[in-house]
Amino acid sequence: MRAEWIALLVALPLLAAFLLQPLSMVAGSERQRRVYWIAPATIMATLALSAMLGESLSQQPISMVMGGFVVPMGINFYLDGLSWGLLVALQFSLLLLWPPSHSIRQQVLMLLLAASATGMVLSGDLFNLYVFYELLAVATFGLVAINKSRAAATASFRYLILSGLGAVLILSGIALIYHQTGTLNLAHLAQLVSLGTVELPLAAFLLMLVGFGVKAELFGVNGWVPEVYGVISPRLSALLAGVISKLAVLVILRVVLLLFPQPEAAQALLWLGILGVASGEFAAWRSRDLRRMLSFSSIGQLGMILIAFSLSLEVGLFVGIVLSLHHLLVKAGLFLLTEDRFGRWGIALFILFSLSLVGVPPLPGFWAKFSLLNGLWSVGGWENHLALVLFLIVTVVEASYLFRVVQQYQQGAMVAPVAVDGAQRSWIDATAVSAILALLLLWTTVQIQEVADKVEQVAVQAADRGQLIATVLGEKQ
Amino acid sequence: MISTWTLLDHLWVVAVTTAVVALLLPRSRSGSWGMALLYLLQLSLLGGMSLPEVVREASLQLTLLEYPMHWSMDGMGLYFSLITVAAALFASLYMAGEWGEHYRAQGKSLRMLHFSLAINNATMLLLLSSGDLLSLFIGWELASWSAFLMMTLAGGVALQAAIRYLIYAMSGAMMIFAAISMIAVHLGTLQFDLVRESVTAFSEPQSGLLLLLVVCGFGIKMGLLPFHLWQAPAYAETPGPGSAFLGAISSRLGLFAMVVVLFKLSGGAWLNLEWLGVTPQTVLAWVAVATIVFPTFTAMRQNDARELLAWHGIGQGGYMLLGIVMMEPLGVAGGMLHVFNHATYQAALFFAVTAVIYRTGTSDLNQLGGLIVRMPLTFVTMLVGIIGLAGLPPMNGFVSKMLIYRSLLEQGELLLFVGAVIGTLGTILSVYKLIHNTFLGTLRLEHHAVKEVEWSMLLPMLLLSLVIFVTGVFPGVPLQWVAEAVAAVGLSMPDYHMGGVMTASGNFDMRVLTAILLGSFAIGALIFYRAGRSRRIHPFDNYAGGHFLHASNHYHYSNNFYAGLMHLILPWYRGLFQRMESALIRVVELLSDLSAGLFGSVRLVQTPLLIVVLLLWWGAGQ
Repeated sequence: MRAEWIALLVALPLLAAFLLQPLSMVAGSERQRRVYWIAPATIMATLALSAMLGESLSQQPISMVMGGFVVPMGINFYLDGLSWGLLVALQFSLLLLWPPSHSIRQQVLMLLLAASATGMVLSGDLFNLYVFYELLAVATFGLVAINKSRAAATASFRYLILSGLGAVLILSGIALIYHQTGTLNLAHLAQLVSLGTVELPLAAFLLMLVGFGVKAELFGVNGWVPEVYGVISPRLSALLAGVISKLAVLVILRVVLLLFPQPEAAQALLWLGILGVASGEFAAWRSRDLRRMLSFSSIGQLGMILIAFSLSLEVGLFVGIVLSLHHLLVKAGLFLLTEDRFGRWGIALFILFSLSLVGVPPLPGFWAKFSLLNGLWSVGGWENHLALVLFLIVTVVEASYLFRVVQQYQQGAMVAPVAVDGAQRSWIDATAVSAILALLLLWTTVQIQEVADKVEQVAVQAADRGQLIATVLGEKQ
Repeated sequence: MISTWTLLDHLWVVAVTTAVVALLLPRSRSGSWGMALLYLLQLSLLGGMSLPEVVREASLQLTLLEYPMHWSMDGMGLYFSLITVAAALFASLYMAGEWGEHYRAQGKSLRMLHFSLAINNATMLLLLSSGDLLSLFIGWELASWSAFLMMTLAGGVALQAAIRYLIYAMSGAMMIFAAISMIAVHLGTLQFDLVRESVTAFSEPQSGLLLLLVVCGFGIKMGLLPFHLWQAPAYAETPGPGSAFLGAISSRLGLFAMVVVLFKLSGGAWLNLEWLGVTPQTVLAWVAVATIVFPTFTAMRQNDARELLAWHGIGQGGYMLLGIVMMEPLGVAGGMLHVFNHATYQAALFFAVTAVIYRTGTSDLNQLGGLIVRMPLTFVTMLVGIIGLAGLPPMNGFVSKMLIYRSLLEQGELLLFVGAVIGTLGTILSVYKLIHNTFLGTLRLEHHAVKEVEWSMLLPMLLLSLVIFVTGVFPGVPLQWVAEAVAAVGLSMPDYHMGGVMTASGNFDMRVLTAILLGSFAIGALIFYRAGRSRRIHPFDNYAGGHFLHASNHYHYSNNFYAGLMHLILPWYRGLFQRMESALIRVVELLSDLSAGLFGSVRLVQTPLLIVVLLLWWGAGQ
């Protein structure tokens, strides 16, 4: 398996996106059906590709340089266990959550989303990160606005404003770094930082944190979350709240791990996490609309993930990854269930996901929360203890609002969700997709030790700065 | 393969099978009887485990995320398990016959009721056999959520009560979670024996924090003051046999876990810490007394028989804790014995009330009366039950309370003793209200056609009555289980024999006491029957509850019972705890309003900009 193949992961969806519209025009109306299959098939192909890459990945991370330019000059893709896991989660989610509509425009946008999200996962330098981030934002606006309602347009516009603000902030942060070092390659920067030749300004980190934080539903820049998730189709919410938000978290994590070892960076993460947890969970408690409630809850959960990443490397990374994976699965499942009125199965799945989210043993959510709790105790300090107390309180709040839904269901008092996508049905029912996620959750429950070992391995690899530098920069170390 | 299985493995398999069978339950009576048989099988397995030199470990051992977990049934677990499975057995017997058919005829799912009973039983067995703190917590959570399932079954008001329970239970669980995590991080182990060895590594403030977390966390399940508000509505609204089961044993799990942590893990040392001259032991004893007194008098005010019983359930939990925190043989034996005794009479009482509901459709104490002539055997059950609950001889409740009183007196805790006695006074008054308003007084016109309930319901009720009486006269039988339980957590027992215990102040023998009591009854009866014919009077020519009533006044005796007493003590019911609860809810409301305010559409850009500016300002300062 040649490392160059990684580029196909981005290139294939991008290519398909450009070709889809002309192909559809050429195909004519009678062969239109075949065209609809191109996009999912492309994603499937990339999934197969990442599966193959995964095998060669087991020992060593893969680095790829485009066009033969030497790092730090050329464009560089980097794939380790962590990004591979997220990549597969992304492709898997895309397939499962493929939109039901047959509009070519939506398919193109989904492909763009796939390409840009993949690019964000793989990018080995800050500038590319920024480019893919912008592309991702554009694809998302389109997808949000595809529903032609007034509310959707407003939400999309708000999202646009915040994303624009985020982009400006990221760019300023990047500019600061470039001004200081003259390079934007992550590995190169990491080398400079670890050699102590340069200390990157904290302001650059803060700017990038807030900038990428727009997607990661960070406290303060998450005003779009309830508005957008309230109006878009639950599948898209599941995708955005599930995997896309984790991409942004991954970027923040990489930046912190590689470039900003300062304790202040961790402190900023911790405090923004604490504020996110508190504001998200309490707002969710007040919210009476199911989708908005889930959006707020998602803000709270991402805050928890940030708290985890703010802990020291050995503890925090593992906990944060576990929490992310768990939230990815559970929140996607929960959002999917809001596509329709709850049936018998719907409410059963809702209860299962809620139980895991609240952290009832032996479901995976319990282990995630247990690790976080242990991490907070072991690192100590008043800030972490504050986070701990808050975490325990909001878990009760969480249980309260999630099971209020169950109560409303049983009393027949539940507000019927608005059908978003009209009558068009997808190839697979939303509840069925949710059931697949639930099965995955149950499988994890049984295989918890194996999964934990795997995550541990990935965390160790992700924390290994030297390996990254060696892999990307070759033998120059 | 099977031959290497231990008894505990078999017990679990049978318990889980019971739950599965409940789901597949055919719509016939034999299916329900099959459930009872499965519980009987579990009971016999438990019996087998109580034999000496039997392996009590489970074969299953796990190590998850570096924490080893194993399960083993010690004496303490066995004692509570016996009560649990027996309670489930009686409950399933009760619903196997006409009651179950009646329940199903109302359009409710008997299968769900059976299933939730079985799953409660199974998860409680898992909890009771836990061998380390992690398995304890897992069992605890599963049992809590199973109880939630059972409470939701009736829907409507019950669901509201169940949600309230859920919030309390979650709060408790989070405290325990914090404590367990703290132990795991500081000691690096969650194994009972290893924790016990190194528990002294905790500093005094740390021990205090742990103690607080554990007592509050487990105390919520026990309904310890001030965390008791959830319990009565939640238990009362559960379908009849379910509430008998929950009332008998479910909240005792809190006591079980507390005893395990306080004595098995810390060896009671945490209770002897001292701050400002006050030990946790004293505080806990007074909390126990408060738990006895307040809920008991609240019970007296209830007009619904199930609520009344459920409130007493909270109060009786106070006696158990009070006995145990005395940390001295008599008190511990009394407190532990009371767990068994309470389970028996509480189940019997709930069964009797459910029988009354089954026939009359109500448990409203203002709507009943005079049923003694129509349901004499149910009356007998309730009579035996309330004598037990009130703690009067010769029923079993007397024995355990007697031991607790003795212990208090011998320790010189006169004030605590007075508190406990006030509680007993309230109990006697309110159980009299219960039996009077249900069975005595005038029979209401609409109840003239009422008949005694069927044998399928009478059988468990009468069997339980027999148990209450027999273990009252021969407390040695349950005391030997108590002895094993107490030994398992490292506490000591008084010398006991079949009829009672030997104390420093002499022999306490229920056999003698019962003989004297029955002898004096016989004398009374002799006088009564030798005295000649009694005179029948008009039912209105009477007075009750301190009210003088005229024959012209068609007043139902049981309405507004204890009006005079209530007039006196009503100012004491200020709803202090209710206010605390609603204050807490308001705090959450306030916080959530504030949080939601952050997401207002106007602040879409202001908030981010403010955040950025603040962050940069902070970053520049670093």
